[in-house]
Amino acid sequence: MIEDLILKLKKEIIDQLQLEGMTPEEVDPEAPLFGEEGLGLDSIDVLELVVLLDKNYGIKIRAAPKEGPKIFYSIKTIAEYILDQQKK
Amino acid sequence: MKFTLIYPKWKKLKGQTEFHLPPHGPVVFAATLPGDVEITFVDENLETIDFDDQADFVGISMMLTSQVKRGWEIAEEYRKRGVPVICGGIATMLHAEETSLHADAVFLGEAEGRMEQILDDFRNNRLRKIYDYLTDFPPIASVGTARRDILKRQLYNYKGIQMVDLFHASRGCRFDCYPCCMSFVGGREFRPRPIEKVLEELATIDNNRLYIVDNSLSQDRAWEKQLFREMIPLKKKWCCHPIEDDDEVLDLAAQAGAWFVYQAIFEVSDFIRDRVKRYHEFGIGVEGTILLGLDRHAEDDIHRLIDFLVEIELDLAEFTVLTPFPHTRAFDDLHGEGRILSYDWNDYTCDQVIFQPKQMSPERLQDLYEEAWEIFYREKPQPYRMFELFKRVIDKEMADGSFHGQQRPQTNRKFGRVKQL
Repeated sequence: MIEDLILKLKKEIIDQLQLEGMTPEEVDPEAPLFGEEGLGLDSIDVLELVVLLDKNYGIKIRAAPKEGPKIFYSIKTIAEYILDQQKK
Repeated sequence: MKFTLIYPKWKKLKGQTEFHLPPHGPVVFAATLPGDVEITFVDENLETIDFDDQADFVGISMMLTSQVKRGWEIAEEYRKRGVPVICGGIATMLHAEETSLHADAVFLGEAEGRMEQILDDFRNNRLRKIYDYLTDFPPIASVGTARRDILKRQLYNYKGIQMVDLFHASRGCRFDCYPCCMSFVGGREFRPRPIEKVLEELATIDNNRLYIVDNSLSQDRAWEKQLFREMIPLKKKWCCHPIEDDDEVLDLAAQAGAWFVYQAIFEVSDFIRDRVKRYHEFGIGVEGTILLGLDRHAEDDIHRLIDFLVEIELDLAEFTVLTPFPHTRAFDDLHGEGRILSYDWNDYTCDQVIFQPKQMSPERLQDLYEEAWEIFYREKPQPYRMFELFKRVIDKEMADGSFHGQQRPQTNRKFGRVKQL
């Protein structure tokens, strides 16, 4: 289940963040979103991810949550957060 | 007359996010030129200079010490082509003698009311080597609306988000902080602009987000309160340097759109802890400008300081190393004691140790500087912290109906790292 969600998220993130030339297979779901050794996303990309979570999953992040850095650590942690929210 | 105005490139802080704000000095200067002067502005951080652009006269505007060597190179290139060059701006004032070796004319001071005469001298081939108005300030009411129309605005757009516009409501600073040159360049008398002139200029800025670049707004309480009161209906959102620590002032600032402040932090103190807490109570974020390398800083002090910044929930931190800019007390002390290790102005980027620290080796201070960025941003990375600040302003804008989304055609526009000098 989570594997399917991770693949879907990868495609959506590549599309939303305009990560040109990148394929889902190339994206390590456990790589950090930030930093040179990870995907190197920036603050505007996080805003885009927040929009994506709202638009595609109905998850609204109104204020920056305390646990935000853990949620937005990697694509896998975002997927876990989505599943967790969908259970509520 | 074709006047090319150039803003030389410089190397940004290594740990700093790559971004480029529309420069302020050049647009303020441009407002002092007569209307019949045809101005072409080139921000070399984002554009390539065309030295064969058929300019009649070239102005080089330099704000930072780390811009001057590049500025001199640019001046020489134009002079080789027979085009006269005048240099001005804060860094020109700090490096006046050296700059005069590379330019036809050097302007020191504030340009309002001076340029007609200088252009007349230029036309009559009698430019003076130095125009020294350093302590002869023009009336503050003569400061006009900055010429932001000379900027290529699309250059200051990152992924569809327009960068803040810079703006100033006052000049001069009654404080004389140890590493700062402002008392030398702008004097120690606080000179607020008339509120009606400020509002007149604000009305021309097609941007909801601003950076009020005044040295400190915390200098004249009555003026500060009036400024904020008048700004409330404009629904602008802005960052600035310190705001007075007073309930009424902070409340008015928050209502007027205060988004976050830059707060200089030198050490662990209850003053800073309370200051940050107070800003937060009023919904105003804090980006600390952290200075490492003062004589009183031992290694343990720096470690304690980094832990303290995390503990007080500072929103963002920009670490810098003490840099002895000319005409500061820091320069006088370190130069006088023979402790300056480099006089190569390209090294004066605030992220390199260029002096002998008192309590450790230069190498150790450099390591601690790198560690500071790493430790502060370990749990909560810089992009996430910046996102939090963005989210804060977007939430405020959504609440008062002033939010504009991203400009979609520009969402793929990014800044690259600046080429090393």
